[in-house]
Amino acid sequence: MPEVNVTVINPLGLHARAAAQLVKLANCFKSSIIIARPDRSTIANGRSILAVLTLSASMGSELVIEVVGEDADLALKAVEDLFKNGFGEI
Amino acid sequence: MKKIGGVIVSHGQLANELLAAAETVIGELTHVTAVSIGWHDDVEAATAEVERSIKQVSTGAGVLVLTDMFGGTPTNISAMFLKENEVEIVTGVNLPMVIKLASHNEEATLGELAIEVESQGKQAIHRTGALLEPQKAK
Repeated sequence: MPEVNVTVINPLGLHARAAAQLVKLANCFKSSIIIARPDRSTIANGRSILAVLTLSASMGSELVIEVVGEDADLALKAVEDLFKNGFGEI
Repeated sequence: MKKIGGVIVSHGQLANELLAAAETVIGELTHVTAVSIGWHDDVEAATAEVERSIKQVSTGAGVLVLTDMFGGTPTNISAMFLKENEVEIVTGVNLPMVIKLASHNEEATLGELAIEVESQGKQAIHRTGALLEPQKAK
């Protein structure tokens, strides 16, 4: 299963509007997208804002993205880029 | 697929502000509206406003009314419009509940959505200190 580690680099962390952007992006793909803490203590469905918020990922947090489905590689790249761009906030 | 409508009813400006906050997060919500009942508003006028709002967002799939507090006037007024498969009420509205209502699975029936929103509202309350303890321990 394709997966990648990302770091939250925007100062506000994975807050409500950032989570909303992530969910909007996740909904553009057929693949299912999971965002988790590296130790899997919290695992969130990338299509649910409220689930993503439970990760309570502040700036500097590391997360793992796992994608399963036919367009997995594209989806993974898109989500990774969103984190790398700091959700357009930096 | 017809979308289930939503009406947030509260004392003061709470309903308007909850809707505004949800729209800031997820974008404009055309199927959700807010009724803020002033502390000194006439009950008949408020009742008419709630009725008008329910009609406004109704597309035939039902309307979920979210009120601020069980036993309060906004809830009591809304309860006059309770009707199976047409109007459901969930009290104790919070922002996660509004977000859930706004982004629900379109196949859900009104009854199913009401249960989901109730459960989401309860699950979304965290004593944050307790939630962060395992991280601190590392």
